[in-house]
Amino acid sequence: MSTAQPNTYWRSLNELSHNDEYKRFVDREFQANATELTDGYSRRNFLQIMGASIALAGFAACRKPIQKILPYSRQPEFVVAGNPLFYATAIPFRGAVTGLVVQTHEGRPTKVEGNELHPDSLGGTNVLQQATILDLYDPDRSRNILLGGESKTVAEFSAFCAEFFTSGKRVAFLSEATSSQTVSRIRRSLSSRFANSTWVTYEPFGEENALLGTQTVFGSKLRAIPQYDKANVVVSFDNDFMSSGPDSVRAAKLFAKRKKVMSTQDDMNRLYVVESNYSLTGSNAEHRVRVKSSEVAQVAFALAAAVGADGFSGYSNAHSSHDILNQMAADLRAQNGAAVVVAGDDQPVSVHAAVAAINVAIGSVGNGVTYAALPFTDSANQNEAFTKLISDLKAGSYDALVMVGTNPVYTAPADVDVKGALSAVGTVVHLSTHVDETSAALPATGWHVNRAHFLEAWGDGLSYTGAESVIQPLIQPLFGGLSDIEVLNLIATGTFTAGHDLVKTTWGTADWREVLHDGLRKGTSFRAEAARTASGAGQAVRSLADGAASVDGIEIVFKPDSKIYDGRFANNGWLMELPDPITKITWDNVALMSPATAGQFGVEYPRSSILRAPADEEPMVSITSNGNTVELAIWVVPGHADDSITVYTGYGRTHSGRVGSGQGVDVHPLRTSGSPLFTSGTVTKSSNTYSIASTQDHHSMEGRPLIREATLVAYKANPTFAPDLVKVPGPIDDNGQAISLFNEQTFPEREPQWGMTIDLNACTGCGVCTIACQAENNIPVIGKNEVRRGREMHWIRVDRYFSGDVNGNPQIVHQPIPCMHCELAPCEQVCPVAATTHSDDGLNQMTYNRCIGTRYCANNCPFKVRRFNFFNYPKTFLTEGTDPEVVQMAMNPDVTVRFRGVIEKCTYCVQRLSRAKIESKRETNSVKPKDGSVKTACQQACPSDAIYFGDLTDSNSTVVQTKRNERNYLLLEELNIRPRTSYMAKLRNPNEATA
Amino acid sequence: MAQLFPEWSNRVPRLLLVGSVLLITSIVFFFWHFGSHEFLEVGYAPQQPIDYSHRLHAGELGLDCRYCHASVEVSAVASIPSTQTCMNCHTQVLPESDKLALLRESWTEGTAIEWVKVHDLPDYVQFNHSSHVNVGVGCSSCHGRVDRMEVVMQAEPMSMGWCLDCHNNPGPSLRPLDQVTNMSWVAPVNQFELAADIISKKNIAPPIYCNACHY
Amino acid sequence: MSQTSTYVPEKPLVEGNHTFGSLTALIGDITEKPAPTWWYIAFGISNLLLGLLLTMIGYLIWEGTGVWGITNPVGWGWAIINFVWWVGIGHAGTLISAILFLFRQGWRTAINRFAEAMTIFAVICALIFPGIHVGRIWLAYWMFPFPNGMQMWPNFNSPLLWDVFAVGTYFTVSLLFWYVGLVPDFATLRDRVKSSIGAKVYGFFALGWTGGNRQWQHYEKAYLLLAGLATPLVLSVHTIVSFDFAVSIIPGWHTTIFPPYFVAGAIFSGFAMVMTLMLLARKLYGLEDIMTINHIEKMNLIILVTGNMVGFAYIMEFFIAWYSGVTYEKAAFINRAMGPYAWAYWTMFLCNVISPQFFWSKKMRTSIVASFILSIVVNIGMWFERFVITVTSLAQDFLPSSWGYYSPTWVDILTYLGTFGLFFTFFLLFLRFLPMVSMAEIKMVMPQADPHYNESKGGHA
Repeated sequence: MSTAQPNTYWRSLNELSHNDEYKRFVDREFQANATELTDGYSRRNFLQIMGASIALAGFAACRKPIQKILPYSRQPEFVVAGNPLFYATAIPFRGAVTGLVVQTHEGRPTKVEGNELHPDSLGGTNVLQQATILDLYDPDRSRNILLGGESKTVAEFSAFCAEFFTSGKRVAFLSEATSSQTVSRIRRSLSSRFANSTWVTYEPFGEENALLGTQTVFGSKLRAIPQYDKANVVVSFDNDFMSSGPDSVRAAKLFAKRKKVMSTQDDMNRLYVVESNYSLTGSNAEHRVRVKSSEVAQVAFALAAAVGADGFSGYSNAHSSHDILNQMAADLRAQNGAAVVVAGDDQPVSVHAAVAAINVAIGSVGNGVTYAALPFTDSANQNEAFTKLISDLKAGSYDALVMVGTNPVYTAPADVDVKGALSAVGTVVHLSTHVDETSAALPATGWHVNRAHFLEAWGDGLSYTGAESVIQPLIQPLFGGLSDIEVLNLIATGTFTAGHDLVKTTWGTADWREVLHDGLRKGTSFRAEAARTASGAGQAVRSLADGAASVDGIEIVFKPDSKIYDGRFANNGWLMELPDPITKITWDNVALMSPATAGQFGVEYPRSSILRAPADEEPMVSITSNGNTVELAIWVVPGHADDSITVYTGYGRTHSGRVGSGQGVDVHPLRTSGSPLFTSGTVTKSSNTYSIASTQDHHSMEGRPLIREATLVAYKANPTFAPDLVKVPGPIDDNGQAISLFNEQTFPEREPQWGMTIDLNACTGCGVCTIACQAENNIPVIGKNEVRRGREMHWIRVDRYFSGDVNGNPQIVHQPIPCMHCELAPCEQVCPVAATTHSDDGLNQMTYNRCIGTRYCANNCPFKVRRFNFFNYPKTFLTEGTDPEVVQMAMNPDVTVRFRGVIEKCTYCVQRLSRAKIESKRETNSVKPKDGSVKTACQQACPSDAIYFGDLTDSNSTVVQTKRNERNYLLLEELNIRPRTSYMAKLRNPNEATA
Repeated sequence: MAQLFPEWSNRVPRLLLVGSVLLITSIVFFFWHFGSHEFLEVGYAPQQPIDYSHRLHAGELGLDCRYCHASVEVSAVASIPSTQTCMNCHTQVLPESDKLALLRESWTEGTAIEWVKVHDLPDYVQFNHSSHVNVGVGCSSCHGRVDRMEVVMQAEPMSMGWCLDCHNNPGPSLRPLDQVTNMSWVAPVNQFELAADIISKKNIAPPIYCNACHY
Repeated sequence: MSQTSTYVPEKPLVEGNHTFGSLTALIGDITEKPAPTWWYIAFGISNLLLGLLLTMIGYLIWEGTGVWGITNPVGWGWAIINFVWWVGIGHAGTLISAILFLFRQGWRTAINRFAEAMTIFAVICALIFPGIHVGRIWLAYWMFPFPNGMQMWPNFNSPLLWDVFAVGTYFTVSLLFWYVGLVPDFATLRDRVKSSIGAKVYGFFALGWTGGNRQWQHYEKAYLLLAGLATPLVLSVHTIVSFDFAVSIIPGWHTTIFPPYFVAGAIFSGFAMVMTLMLLARKLYGLEDIMTINHIEKMNLIILVTGNMVGFAYIMEFFIAWYSGVTYEKAAFINRAMGPYAWAYWTMFLCNVISPQFFWSKKMRTSIVASFILSIVVNIGMWFERFVITVTSLAQDFLPSSWGYYSPTWVDILTYLGTFGLFFTFFLLFLRFLPMVSMAEIKMVMPQADPHYNESKGGHA
């Protein structure tokens, strides 16, 4: 319903932003309650205003307790009890912001969606953005300003700032990557006020290497902005751009555009991936070259040589077959510019330089890729600047250190003594949402300032493509808390100014209303640079190339986790429990390696037993590098490069909170500032074992026609290859349908008939649908042990299968599996109490309050999409801890929270359908909403628009078009259960030359 | 040899047979009746923090329901009025009344008045006011003659069966849209034709599948 | 006109040249003399196990179904396995009393009472599980049709519902049948017992039985009618239990062979259980004269026959899986024999198909030790049959992505042990206070009951 008339809710924003009504409303609604947090009673009342008395939900069988209704004292404008409002804002991550539209129920943010007006969101989201709601309501967030552990008030902190940060002080600023214009503005006054100050941007997996790479080639730091929609051919050197990076949503959206094959006339793009670890992007590649991460460089150089890039002539590498390289090169050149080569942020400078050179050579600059100068970056090498800063701090060359976000004590390489630096400098200010490892390591004179979540504070920033976006709060800080700009301004001026005013000063008032309406300043973006090769770039690149050395023997590769990244999201239960797109592992990090490499440690693959018992434990390896040793479970990934072990960072946190602390293993001790990306090490089989919670053990499709796939050429030769694969056996009735023993459902004319199509060609397997569904439908987090037992609760899961030679270079296919809403649903026949039945609009209904939990329906579901509440999961998820009401605020008031002992499953987001039908009935007198006016949560979140949903009785609806598509097929059609959810077969577009 | 049992004991088996049948039926009846909403819920009229009289406001003064329950036509909930709404009048009317002390406190302090919920459906029931009042289901059809209630009480059982009675046969509970908030409206003699007309105009087909209310 | 034929007298069904009186004493005394020490020990152990059962059920209700090993693909575990197993065991009783009665099999009289008692207690053990295996036990009564404010009926399409009624009916009829059979014996005991309380209790249940002519006439009619009523039930119960699986679409469950196959299996395990208990009772109470080797051999023959029926079904399943040409069906059965649960499958096959073959030899059929061991082996096998059917089919069905592995928790195991406590508590009480052999009926098949008894001995009346 984010398609509700913008003017109504956007206009409200303009009002909200700067009238006293708003301030009073906010004071009334939240500040009061925020201060009452510890007082459970008033907190509970607050919740009842919100109509979300979760704790009471589900006690179906009990006598109702007395409930109170607490109306507003003063009715806030535009708030209609029971109807949600939508506001535009933006989420900052790693130096880029992405536009969002956030749903609020009576002032309580409950759901995040993409902002269709925003060029970097285009309506899509990624897992981190979907899960951010749970971060907002994380009860473990820091609630006070702390000085040496003593809690202080904002006033006291301001007083300290005013008194300490006198001009001329030598202040060091250590900041996470930020593109905020307001921060840049304040930085100017900072540098003028503190002459000998320094500002270092620190990201453990930032884009610094990429910028240095372009610096080598173009003479100045430029950001490569791939235009995937313009590229027929994409080559990725270890760049997992479809996963959860700062540009992932835009990338997925644009990339998917070129994969939308709706008829045999359409064409699609081609993706080559060169990588060691099997990444999400790699699993979507037509051609995947698996080489050790440390050898990707040589392959890049070889390709550069093959396309005749400046400085590489005559370079040759030993690490991959030359045929595929030459075919790649030919393919790239043939596109005259409609192609792009990208490299991963966790590849060394040399690779980025080579890639830049290639892009120039194939003439894709300004076409397949544009280069832009970033207004907020410093020309200095920030990686070196960081290590230098730490040593300078120890040397005492600064009076104070101010850390804006970042958690260096945890994320810094082992040889960088951040702790030592902190105690040396003494006066430290650390702005952080949690009392994390760094806050915990502060000296007695160190200030921990609790940071406000971005949904609680005003801010701004530039999107990856440079769209000027504004971050506006949807709720007053739940636990107090200051924003980065407020703290920096406080230090710069010594007086506290509200974030709103600071942002306003930066943005001016001219188009303020419109900006808040759209969430960004329309039409703004980075200027595309000419990006001419600087003189002598060739030699510089070549010297880098010759300098690049690969790791002999086994290499250990460090990657940010695709869910909790570098650990900053470790306390988010939704993310922790989201299965990794490739390994399907939850709650842990492991040592990923190829079957051959695992063989060296006596691990056979595939396992002799094809199923893992919950009790089974995985063997471990102990990895020693840079004098430190960590032990990790061995996990075999077919297609991983041999002699290479990939480890994900972000786990093994000690100060992340109830959820994240102690989950998995911290691998940072293995990293050094010298080799932060991959390193050599000695790896030995450990005698220990470790239990892993993986949601899918079986890697093979067993030759069953579940995911149907063909090459683009084969598809054009035989468009109906997918539906032809299986036919329903048995006699046919008058309507041409196979007869059934079940009593057939008749659907009344007046009702819409809901149906869904999932385009397996567009789907990348990222798993955002799972999180979006979890956020929309109040699905609980159940913890590692329950997942191990195979009791995960996700309503829509993404199945992953390997095809091809598991010991060679197999391919991966992904298949999202929600409830299929079969018209002849096997589950409905067997329920003894009629708790699951069929609705007039074609839904397979699950009535929780009627369910007695025989689990017969789950047994009889051929897709195994039905989930059972083995324990009272919501209780443990929602009512434990000091003030559970905080987590309860994340719940969707339109969806019942399920009690122990009942079955639940995908409902096609019936709460949204119901709302749409009621609105439609009110306006048009018909319960059939117009096409596109209602979206399911998974459909709305999907960044590659792989999910179509709508009314099958509306012959013009997009979903009907997809159902008519030749690639459309029904899963397990031969069972004659007539699923309402169908799939469009997957296509790949391999290079003919490789055949 | 002496008889073990007296003569009447010959009848015991037959009595047992008949008795057990009666016992089972009466147990079922007991729960069916005394466990029903009609028995447990109807007449529930809790003490409210302020003894606000619907009889006075809605009855004698004849305020329209929607003056206070403003969102009833556009939202799932009818909504309890904010203190502001009350103060619209009570700044002039009885501004000093002791009965309204709590109200004035709420106004000055900005605290909320804790009304006790009377019509309290379980959390797994998704009732939507707007979808009912917009097709001609009157307030009094479910809430009874509120205009005669000094203290609001639950007038109808509000059990699933009770909902279904109307969803299966909406006719008797329908009235012209302009009469929805009319407490004293009574079905006219031509209710049958009237209802038929509304049903066709508003094309009313109340859903009776689970997802209509439970999700 | 005359014809000559060689007349082979059948082995006497009661040996040891008993008189009516001595036979009554032999059986009746057990209920009147003080119980032997072993009885008290056995009863104590059974009570402990019963306590364990109740504790486990309490824990289950308090914590939730999650305390069991069941998981996502495998929604039914030991609970359902035990249910089917116990119901199966509960088959022998009514079969012996009803069907063998209609076939005029005199030898049944030695064991029918005993088997019927076992049936009733086994069904009680079985009935526990459908009740406790649901997620919201306190709402299990929704399975029954009754007037309610929701205007909701149960779903009469669901096999689970048929099951509830089928097993319920079976239990009621078996109980009735058993009781009717007991009436004359109650009277006997009433007249023998010393204590007046005893007399009153037995007397109450004896319904004023005097053994008069007309009473016997009515009694015989009633018994015959009940036998007729019970006979179809023997077949229907397990047929409907098998529908729980056969009506679903899961490969390995969706099979038309299930009804006959389940019934055969049930009789198979039922007789094995009767055998186990009978051999013990006969030794401990010295009833060798009544439960003769002849009886044992006859029962072993039935075990042999039903065992082979089951074996045939096993093989037929594989044939059909191959013959049907359905990928999923084939895979399901290949997984049974070669998959992660192969160990369970081959245990089952060994116990149910191979082991009964020993009974081809008369030596084995008539050996008490062999019969005892094999009868236990058979019931182990039948438990595994239910395990194989329930678990392996669910663990690996259509989508390999959702395949999983099921393993029980300590709660599953202790609950199962507990049901033996329940069973033996009842059974020991039965042995102690009721005549374990039908005194009335056994006398009819005594050699002495034959009018020509003396002639056959060549004497003169």
